[in-house]
Amino acid sequence: MSENNHLSSQFDDDLSRLRSHVLQMGGLVETQISAAIEAYSRGEVASVKHIVETDRKVNDLEVAIDDDCAHIIAKRQPAASDLRMVFGISKIVTDLERAGDEAKKIAKGVRRIYEAGQMPSQYGIGVRHIAEAALAMLRQSLDAFARLDSPLAIKVIQADVDVDVEFKSIMRQLITHMMEDPRTITTSIDIIWIARAVERIGDHAKNISEHVVFIVDGRDIRHQPKENKA
Amino acid sequence: MSSSLIRALLLGLLAAIVSWPIGHFVTTWLGWLVFSISLAWQMLYHYRHFVKLDRWSRVPALDGTLEADEGAWDGIFGRLYRHEKGLQEQIAQRDQEIAMLIAAGQALTDGVILLNQHNHILFCNVTAENQLGLVVASDRGQAVVNLVRQPEFVAYLEGEDFSRPLTLRSDRNQNSVLSIHVIPYSGNRRLMQIKDITQSDRLDQMRRDFVANVSHELRTPLTVLSGFLETLQEIDVEPDEQHRFLELMAEQSKRMQSIVQDLLTLSSIESAPPPENETVDMVNLLDKLRRDAEALSAGRHTIIVESDGQGDLRGSEPDLVSAFGNLVSNAVRYTPAGGTVCLAWHATPQGAEFAVQDSGIGIEAKHIPRLTERFYRVDRGRSRDAGGTGLGLAIVKHSLNRHQAQLEITSKPGAGSRFAAKFPASRVAGV
Repeated sequence: MSENNHLSSQFDDDLSRLRSHVLQMGGLVETQISAAIEAYSRGEVASVKHIVETDRKVNDLEVAIDDDCAHIIAKRQPAASDLRMVFGISKIVTDLERAGDEAKKIAKGVRRIYEAGQMPSQYGIGVRHIAEAALAMLRQSLDAFARLDSPLAIKVIQADVDVDVEFKSIMRQLITHMMEDPRTITTSIDIIWIARAVERIGDHAKNISEHVVFIVDGRDIRHQPKENKA
Repeated sequence: MSSSLIRALLLGLLAAIVSWPIGHFVTTWLGWLVFSISLAWQMLYHYRHFVKLDRWSRVPALDGTLEADEGAWDGIFGRLYRHEKGLQEQIAQRDQEIAMLIAAGQALTDGVILLNQHNHILFCNVTAENQLGLVVASDRGQAVVNLVRQPEFVAYLEGEDFSRPLTLRSDRNQNSVLSIHVIPYSGNRRLMQIKDITQSDRLDQMRRDFVANVSHELRTPLTVLSGFLETLQEIDVEPDEQHRFLELMAEQSKRMQSIVQDLLTLSSIESAPPPENETVDMVNLLDKLRRDAEALSAGRHTIIVESDGQGDLRGSEPDLVSAFGNLVSNAVRYTPAGGTVCLAWHATPQGAEFAVQDSGIGIEAKHIPRLTERFYRVDRGRSRDAGGTGLGLAIVKHSLNRHQAQLEITSKPGAGSRFAAKFPASRVAGV
């Protein structure tokens, strides 16, 4: 928390409000993703519409938060850790919005599958599993941002490898299915799109964690070999 | 005038009295010298104590650093010491009281979070930490919506309408359902009470399912009945056909009757007083069960009774007959022709077991925990064909529970199932 008091407590208020807005946007994206996972595993096509609508709210929040960031920079000319916070927030928001888009993609994929009268669960049970892992990553990366906890953020970055590995194994499984029975190709491709979106959510969670490390420690650990990240 | 001031003046006067004769009778300068030395001596005394007080006042401690030599400062230091001691005792007592209140808050089985006017966390107990995934050590002062980010929760907290609690499906623990109630107190502070209502939510769900199931189970035969009635009213059918219709209608109405009968049995078991302690003769009972099983099987199965004839049960005979009879008839109905049904009775002073083992179709593991739910069916079509109402095992479970007995179900698909009723020692007689 930026508890270092500034001369202007108004500035502190602005910053903490900005942080809360980011986390509320995060909350929306989290619900979107978990609703998309539910829709996938239970075939609730009805919730797809709701997920797509939430995406609009997420987009609006992204624009509003970016605007707030610009205002703070212009009005307060923040320095050092405050500047990192504002910059970091502006990047986190971009990643959050994209994670929300991926949730929307999952929801639409689910609708395609069920409207074609198919059931995804018979092929891609693993998808639910990695989707939950990716959602947990996103949740932890937002927790790390709320608590400014860079060790937790680094743990999230390391967890991304597992999601990637599992994504590849799902791909292999589905390819085998498609070769065995070409009638499953349409559904399998939809499942691949969904798995791909899930994997991207994991990547966005990892990016958010990298921004958190930047905000807290002032280190930029993007695109670096793993051993430099710990 | 205080005694210490008088004392200081007297000491000055004493110095004057001693030095005046010296100045008068010896030499004047010696007199002044003695006077100044004695005054300086007193000054030194005061200065030393002043320094001591100054140092102590920065870090007041009760370790004897505030001790005065005999004199004017003694009283002051004593009073300061006692004041400080009183204060520290009071603080310690307050601390203890606060710790007790916090411990009471921690001991609550409901989650409790205290929030300030900006919804920042002031206090939260262990239960709330677990329910919402908070860590009080690092999250004190944090806005609660930063960590519990579910939009419903944020909207509830910001909506300022706390007349009803919020029901929230926790996103950190998918299976738990929380009821969150915000209670404003002391101006603009808020107390958040969090109840885990997972259990009652599940019960609600079961009740809704039950009502839906009952209506469904009764509607199916009713639809058949009213369909035939309409046909008979509107079309002239051949006497043969008419006879067949009436038979089907009778069958369906019998079905409805048996469902209603089972429902009544179930509710009477639930509301009945504890069973009597009459002794049930197991040899007779086993014999009766075997005969019933043979009648139901009509020679299609091999019925075996395994019993050493030892031991009887204490309880209500009709209840036990209906419970065991249900298990036996299930075994016969779900075992294909040519299979075996084995009734086993075994009693020891530690407890007794009545088990029905069949070589039937078996039950998949995922169905076993739900078998005793009302109207739960592994396979809808088949169990209705077999003539079941969907309430048999629910009745068995309730009658056994009333005898403090447990129903244990083990099964392997394709290999058969075993339903065992385990009775405690208090229910066994004559071993």
